[in-house]
Amino acid sequence: MNGPAHGSNLIVPRDANGMPVPLTESEEIAKLKGALLKDIQRSAYVYRVDCGGCNGCEIEIFAAITPVFDAERFGIKVVASPRHADILLFTGAVTRAMRMPALRAYQAAPDPKITVSYGACGCSGGIFHDLYCVWGGTDKVVPVDVYIPGCPPTPPATIYGFAMALGLLGQKLHASHHVEGEGERAVVAHPQVPLDIRVEIEREARRLAGYRSGKLIADEFMHVLTEESAAALSLDERVKRFLSGNDDPRKEEIITRLWDVSLQGATV
Amino acid sequence: MLKLFKIISDAGEATHKYPFAPYPVSPGFRGKPQLEANQCIACAACVIACPANALTMSTDTEANERNWELNLGRCIFCGRCEEVCPTKAIALTPEFELAVGNKADLLQKATFRLAHCVDCGTPFAPAKEVEYVMDLLVQSGIQVDDAQRAHLATCPECKRKQTVFRDDQSQHMSTEIEK
Repeated sequence: MNGPAHGSNLIVPRDANGMPVPLTESEEIAKLKGALLKDIQRSAYVYRVDCGGCNGCEIEIFAAITPVFDAERFGIKVVASPRHADILLFTGAVTRAMRMPALRAYQAAPDPKITVSYGACGCSGGIFHDLYCVWGGTDKVVPVDVYIPGCPPTPPATIYGFAMALGLLGQKLHASHHVEGEGERAVVAHPQVPLDIRVEIEREARRLAGYRSGKLIADEFMHVLTEESAAALSLDERVKRFLSGNDDPRKEEIITRLWDVSLQGATV
Repeated sequence: MLKLFKIISDAGEATHKYPFAPYPVSPGFRGKPQLEANQCIACAACVIACPANALTMSTDTEANERNWELNLGRCIFCGRCEEVCPTKAIALTPEFELAVGNKADLLQKATFRLAHCVDCGTPFAPAKEVEYVMDLLVQSGIQVDDAQRAHLATCPECKRKQTVFRDDQSQHMSTEIEK
């Protein structure tokens, strides 16, 4: 069963260079699919095809069918054979070795079937998109109806994707294109704080709290220093007032240190 | 039987109402990266940081534009772009409903203009980036006069030529040449 020469339905179309091109869907089947989605009166069975993923996506799929998210209340049920499936869920970036099994699973599922590309790898190859041994996405192999991006998609995102595949919910995300307008200008953050002190504060906050939280804390701290509503208070009082309203000892430590740094920076 | 019903009612319902009610994501949830394009200076820090190459940038000098592009299908929602952005233009939002039927809808684009060198006229940097540098100089307490503005709006190649020319005029160079 493992050889690619088994059965003529596995011979896939190729382009002029002999490279396999994705399978396509005939119009007849597309029409049947429309009819299926319109009058589906039963559960939609899902078969999960792992095309060389890291199993993060699988964990989230199984999280989506646990009682907390309970995809089964919509009749979505994970089955063990593509022969039973209405929906094929492809995860992973489609490695060279998994291309043929993926095609076999696709061919084994009865028409009309809905194909869902799951996770960043399934959508476009994800972080593995330029690896030599991957095809870079489900759509390089089979026709795809719905793409669910995420690395991995959370269970609610999974349920949303299924609802979209079954035509229950509409698509929310659309392509966008911003073109720079006339006189568009980036605003410098905290213009009242001198640049060198700002840099010192940001650097110290990132050193203490990590890159992302450090940025947020430095931002909050500089906002406290330059707040206009507290113009009557001295800087020292502002910091003290901010610290009294804060109940996180780690943050208190960081803010105290930032206050020291800004005092040093101001005296130099 | 009644005892069973009591246990069930005491346990309550664990299942989320999600598709019928909004799903409250946890604090710090990393969802769709959203570019505040007005604030973006097209410096490409996010593009360099992006581990999955979901963010790409290309410069088209013919059309005088720099194109920023985010492919959400490739994004792994790590937040590195948010961390490195010097102007806080890109941030991860709690938006998680990103499934699409058409792959082209996963692309988010932005186009920025290029600044041309005042000397030779070749495009050398995004216009907003040059303006931002001037604003930063002002913030750091430096008085930016017209000569400095012109210097900032010069491409590296012309700056080098100007420096050589200036040094050529200087005492040091002329004494060297006389020798």
